[in-house]
Amino acid sequence: MKTDTELAASAAQGSQDAFRELVKRFERPVYSLVLRMVQDPATAEDLAQEVFVKAFRALRTYDPRWKLSSWLFKIAHNTTIDHLRRGTPETVPLEGGEDEEGRGGLAAVLADESVEDPRAAAERRDLARSLERAIRQLRPDYREAVLMFYVHGASYQEICEATGQPLGTVKTNLHRARKELAQTMTGLGWGPGETGGAAAS
Amino acid sequence: MRHLQQDALDRWLAAERDGRDGEAEAALLEMFEALPLAAPAAGFADRVLVRAGLQTAAVPADLFAWRPLRIVLGLALAAAGFGVLWLPPLLHFLMGLWSVGGAVQGGIRVVTDASQWLATALRIWDFWVTIVHALAQPLAVPQVMAVLVLSLLASSLAFRFLRDQITGERNWTYVDPS
Repeated sequence: MKTDTELAASAAQGSQDAFRELVKRFERPVYSLVLRMVQDPATAEDLAQEVFVKAFRALRTYDPRWKLSSWLFKIAHNTTIDHLRRGTPETVPLEGGEDEEGRGGLAAVLADESVEDPRAAAERRDLARSLERAIRQLRPDYREAVLMFYVHGASYQEICEATGQPLGTVKTNLHRARKELAQTMTGLGWGPGETGGAAAS
Repeated sequence: MRHLQQDALDRWLAAERDGRDGEAEAALLEMFEALPLAAPAAGFADRVLVRAGLQTAAVPADLFAWRPLRIVLGLALAAAGFGVLWLPPLLHFLMGLWSVGGAVQGGIRVVTDASQWLATALRIWDFWVTIVHALAQPLAVPQVMAVLVLSLLASSLAFRFLRDQITGERNWTYVDPS
């Protein structure tokens, strides 16, 4: 299997198959990051497409010293901010709606009832809803840092490169975001010894 | 039965409560690692390739199911329906041309109408020429022209600088009021 850098090099030389493979490899991280920043699946799809089109046009300028995921996250960060700057978007809240259940919300991915008993599935769904709510309540810069670090496994340095923030700011944001997440989750009834999710359900 | 995420969640919240930052971070990472990522609708890569101009959009087998074609057909039908309104006067006019006298009369009417339209267009053109001429007169003075060119240059440089400042600073603070 080709590495990300090899794929990027082949795509830059005009290989359609390499670019398709590259899109398939990164469509989930890019889409899910954008989705949780704009809160609307249709807008997220449009912006994620735009991210890959921009990446394709700029592939010749891609510096292989960067991780390809960081480079794509940077494009996603810029594209999302540029979109939100154009005006207040009409958004559809992810929580509890059809989109959350059907198009990649945490509740959808956690609520696979085929692998466990219905009670456990319901608990997982409650936990997912609470997490989704807690993430949504974070400030956008905290939310973005949390998603990159915890969900997509980006390092501090990669987050710095993608968002253009200094290392100290990224670390502080992550620390504060984690505290706020914990506070919200505790407020929603989760924690050691709790049945959890009373508020979420 | 408690699932993996719930255990990680409990460890995370307990670590947060006790101020054990390292453990809290590790538990939260573990909890999120167990979660699959959201996925776009099927065929995402194809749509990206179409948008990037690398692939043409597939036209559905049923042509009438193709939205652009339905829109064009709808517009064509609307235009045809609208055109029916002009059908009686047009037929009346064409029937009037059936005799030699009618044809001459029709020809004269067409020439007269065309002349009137032309005269109106010329009057409007003349009006605009007068305005442009009045505006352009001061520009014949070299000093005025120089000031104008310098002002344009300065404003376009300022605009470009401002745009670079705004677009270069991609910060969430300037996007979300929260």
